[in-house]
Amino acid sequence: MTIKLISALAASSLLLFSSCIREEALSPECDITSVSQEWLNSKGAGLILGTPVIKQATPASITLFINKKDDRVKALNPQFTISAGATLLYKDNNTRVPFDSAAYHDFSESQTYSVRSADGHFTKDYVVSFEVPQPLDSCDFEDFAYNNNRHQYMTLLQRQEDGSVNSNIWSSGNAGYNLTGMAASPTDFPTSFVSGGHKGLAAKLVTRSTGTFGMLTRPPMPIAAGNLFIGTFNLNKAMLAPLEATRFGLQIVKGEPLKLSGWYKYKAGAEFTDRNKTVDASRRDTADIYAVLFEVDPDNFQSLNGANVLSSERIVSIARIANPGEPSTWTYFEEPFRPMNGKTFDTARLKHNGYAISVVMTSSRLGAYFEGAVGSTLWVDDIKVTYK
Amino acid sequence: MKIFLITIISLMMGVSAQAADATTWLEPTETTGNAVRPDTIRDSSNDRNIILAALKGWQVAVGAGLELGGASPVPIPRSIRQINSFNPLLNLYLEGTAYKSFTPRWGMALGLRFETKGMKTNANVKNYHMAIIEDDGGHMEGGWNGPVITKYRATYITVPVLATYTFSNPRWMVSAGPYFSLMLNGDFDGYVHDGYIRTPDELGENVNVTHATYDFSNNLRKFQWGLQIGGSFRAYKHLYVNANLDWGLNGIFPSDFNTISFALYPIYGTLGFSYLF
Repeated sequence: MTIKLISALAASSLLLFSSCIREEALSPECDITSVSQEWLNSKGAGLILGTPVIKQATPASITLFINKKDDRVKALNPQFTISAGATLLYKDNNTRVPFDSAAYHDFSESQTYSVRSADGHFTKDYVVSFEVPQPLDSCDFEDFAYNNNRHQYMTLLQRQEDGSVNSNIWSSGNAGYNLTGMAASPTDFPTSFVSGGHKGLAAKLVTRSTGTFGMLTRPPMPIAAGNLFIGTFNLNKAMLAPLEATRFGLQIVKGEPLKLSGWYKYKAGAEFTDRNKTVDASRRDTADIYAVLFEVDPDNFQSLNGANVLSSERIVSIARIANPGEPSTWTYFEEPFRPMNGKTFDTARLKHNGYAISVVMTSSRLGAYFEGAVGSTLWVDDIKVTYK
Repeated sequence: MKIFLITIISLMMGVSAQAADATTWLEPTETTGNAVRPDTIRDSSNDRNIILAALKGWQVAVGAGLELGGASPVPIPRSIRQINSFNPLLNLYLEGTAYKSFTPRWGMALGLRFETKGMKTNANVKNYHMAIIEDDGGHMEGGWNGPVITKYRATYITVPVLATYTFSNPRWMVSAGPYFSLMLNGDFDGYVHDGYIRTPDELGENVNVTHATYDFSNNLRKFQWGLQIGGSFRAYKHLYVNANLDWGLNGIFPSDFNTISFALYPIYGTLGFSYLF
């Protein structure tokens, strides 16, 4: 009787609530979600390398890599997919005009597109540029930029052969750590660039606690290892499938890589914890520094990710410090690229942009699996890939 | 349950005795005729006070019943798109009430109620703004898109202060007035799953989330108040059937609690019976 009464009343209250559901508000989302694949396949074929890098956090940007200086960039009409219901605009001399899919623009200089949300309240600008990635030789960690989120963190800039700086080479998990709000200053993030390097600034990678939030997700993510790598970080996947959030590798191979060298020092944190934050006194944290060369299909770029960066069948060779230990002073290392999967370097493949390379550094070797010690600190400076 | 009942009756009697007149308390005697086991309250002098209260125009009732409702924003914000399920949970109340008539029609009722309020909801939301701040400095803010499962369950001591009106058919009485609640303990927690949070704001980006829990129990407001309106039907000489609507006028969270961007007002209907001594 009581149960029936409750059910009846519950059903009627549900009805009551449902009748109070109001009309849906128009969406505030104002994103360029992708560069049209159709356009990439047609206009982009033979011109565009890899996948476009879309940075959603303001200042938002879209970078398309091209093989070499190409006059075709002087007249292009890139097409985009945007948030449902939103409006795409093109910024012409600081005036936003409706997007015209047939209008060609000169991408010798970057161009700006805007998306206005369906509700009309929000407009986000995207700086769209085409750039020729320059082969990576070395990085001295002297150039960095701040993002302009609420909690600022640092992004490494790569100084290129022509003297320009490029913000699309190196990535870290800082954007993911930013979700926890645990960092009060840029140097509280797992990845930062600070003085006290072997020369000038150095990369400082620290394994941090993700605090309460890290334990609220399923599975939990109790730590965030400091990391720095060539590739892109996909924040969208950071909580869903963290191993897939780190996308390793860019087509910036100069020749056959022979060795990876640089300077580092390391101190493991006191307590090693597993993915449930349970202390395991029998284990000690270890750093990881490696470079991986792998084959890519130039027309269908696929990066490596946290799950296969050391095991993919596409890997040609890996240079890795097997046992970095815990040197407390700046220590030089030099590791040869060791062949994998029975593959050898093929110059013809390189000519067709069939190789990608990533250099990866982390303060906790198993950080991708959320195992490590809070406080583990890896310093790296003056890293160099030597080509044949 | 019996312990609760006895406690509530004793508490209620204390209230009614004070309301009667503290200076005319009588010495305890063995005279008693009500349903309460006299040996449990023999030393409290309350049994005499009931009689005294009745002589002075006070009547006393004890009752129990069910509460059904929820903590809801008013009106329901547009970010809530669909209520997938709503479970009011089994909420009970035990109440003692002292009535006094001033005229044949008008009177007042002073109650003391021990009650639970709760609900469990599963709702689909879009751009549901949340800003969560943890004690360790963690801070997450953004608009959630996806299902939200919420469980609210709290225990209150509530004092309603009501004006009563008895109709020409004296079996019917209506009452209305404010109530004041003190939360004894409360839980407000739940989880979100299979959706995304747009963070840190509308210009930010979407981050997929498979499952994340939250617990705002420590943020629940201790003191609440609202309006109670209802009616009683005297089914038998001593037995009333009561129905009330309790409408909270402050949210279950303090106004500076911004995690949920709208106030949640407790709105409960109660249905129960009471025994009039």
